[in-house]
Amino acid sequence: MNNIIEFKNFRMGFKDESGNEFNLLDDISFEIKEGVALGVVGESGCGKSMTSLSVLKLLPSGVTIQGGDILYKGDSILDMNQEQMEDIRGKDISMIFQEPMTALNPVHTIGFQVGEALKVHFPGMKNSEIKANVLEQLELVGIPNPETRYYQYPHQFSGGMRQRVMIAMALICNPKLLIADEPTTALDVTIQAQVLELMKNIKQKGSMMLVTHNLGVVSELCDEIVVMYAGCVVERGNIGEVFENPKHPYTKGLMAAVPSLDSKGKELYTIPGIVPTVKNFEKGCRFSPRCEESSEACKGIKPELTRVGDNHFVECWKYNNSEGSPCQK
Amino acid sequence: MQNNRTFFQSFIRNPMGMIGFFGVLLIVLLGIFAPTIAAYPKGYGTEILVAPGSGMLFGTDNLGLNVFAEVVWGARSSLYVSAIAVLVAAVIGLPAGLISGYKKGKIGSVIDGLIDIFLTLPVLPLMIVIAAIVGSSIINVAVVIGLFSWPSLAKVTRNATLRISEMQYIEAAKCLGIPSYRIIFKHILINVAGPVLVNLTLIMATAVLSESGLSFLGLGDPTTWSWGAILKKAWDASAVIDTPNPWWWWLWPSVFIMFYVISFNLLGTGINEILNPKSRE
Repeated sequence: MNNIIEFKNFRMGFKDESGNEFNLLDDISFEIKEGVALGVVGESGCGKSMTSLSVLKLLPSGVTIQGGDILYKGDSILDMNQEQMEDIRGKDISMIFQEPMTALNPVHTIGFQVGEALKVHFPGMKNSEIKANVLEQLELVGIPNPETRYYQYPHQFSGGMRQRVMIAMALICNPKLLIADEPTTALDVTIQAQVLELMKNIKQKGSMMLVTHNLGVVSELCDEIVVMYAGCVVERGNIGEVFENPKHPYTKGLMAAVPSLDSKGKELYTIPGIVPTVKNFEKGCRFSPRCEESSEACKGIKPELTRVGDNHFVECWKYNNSEGSPCQK
Repeated sequence: MQNNRTFFQSFIRNPMGMIGFFGVLLIVLLGIFAPTIAAYPKGYGTEILVAPGSGMLFGTDNLGLNVFAEVVWGARSSLYVSAIAVLVAAVIGLPAGLISGYKKGKIGSVIDGLIDIFLTLPVLPLMIVIAAIVGSSIINVAVVIGLFSWPSLAKVTRNATLRISEMQYIEAAKCLGIPSYRIIFKHILINVAGPVLVNLTLIMATAVLSESGLSFLGLGDPTTWSWGAILKKAWDASAVIDTPNPWWWWLWPSVFIMFYVISFNLLGTGINEILNPKSRE
């Protein structure tokens, strides 16, 4: 299977006014294969959104790339210029956002906004063709009366409907990869279920990168999972393997913190402590200060991503065989 | 089209805006139909310094010319000057504000610095100097006024653009691969139209003040009737301090300048109030 996107030891961060360098994403390595849905999970502020914006090269100003590479179908995204990126965005890779209430332009009609990507990426297309495409797409994402809705403005849509419009916007050019940044967080539960159902249907067509902190959504939609903590990939692999047999203490903690029917009446598990800010990341394993299984070895040197299963990697000294056991370090 | 309807509905319900609108409308009509309302005042009249009354609505000046005709033709040149000034200001100020607000980093700060420098320039003395250098045709005066009106417009545009470009729908547009110029002119410009429109009406008003000021100082176009030019002629003929005082000579142009400025200001305030959802409730 071909890789659509491949992160190769990608590192990025920023410099503050006095020139100190900080690292936001450290040694990110994973790939999204053709037709595979990948879930990226982690606490708030662990770099999930930065990772997804990196794919589109839409990083906030002031951010610097410190090493590694991101490959789109084998070509480095970091080497591409503005025009090449604009060509890829929307056409090959597109994105849907967390907040459907603010992600549509209030002064343009739905039809215009959904069709704009077609207009930009296929300049030869006639207006009637664009309209037909847009109507079809609106129908596909489950918007009733697309003919009337086409001429309406975002404020005439409910939150769930707007999310559908956004999905239609992102899918209009049939992208090879769809990045969904917490697509259901801002919706209420019934609408969430409907949107998830919709995402399940569209997932068949191409690859998807689903950024979320909801493990339930990941297990529902994804084939593979990447667990991130403080800018590092701590564990990744096949969804079944990781869910059934989590190796990294952080993943174990995340799994334990999900309420289940068995945990009724008991106090919910929480991982002690909070996510460190970028200015006080640990030098070794960044999770070690909160880790219940940490030892002295975790403090000094960062562990490497180690294979522990067929398609299952973990970044923890407990499993780091390539450099010897943690006790000797 | 629900949006448009509510805009016009609330505009009709806004008394300030309506007063401003009708004031502006009156002056525009005067300007457009000047040739049919009154003959172009030129040469000499037979009766000089006639007080307002039968026949001569606003009286006559010391050459026997009809002050009413002068004021009507003055409305025409005032509109002409403000329109050109606004056009010049918009052509420079809008792109400057949009680009500096959208492109953060070097380009943005350079343009923002330029805007700030122009804002601190002493406008009137510079206008006088430039008007004196380029010569006093009405179009020169208008362009000079426009050249000094763009910084405020650029600042307003920039501030609104800064706010809008942080919105998620702009990020969404970037993610769809929409090129920057299209984002700026299709997505941002229309969203910042409110404050920009208000500022344009204010420039309309101040342009006439500047033009009158320049004309009064003798830097206007001597061959065109403008309100400032009438005042200058009245001043030169000592009409302001004479006894008995031909008050109609200097009063009417002054009233019209005031009327024009107030009308455009009210119109601007009205538009601002209507476009601001907080005050629409």
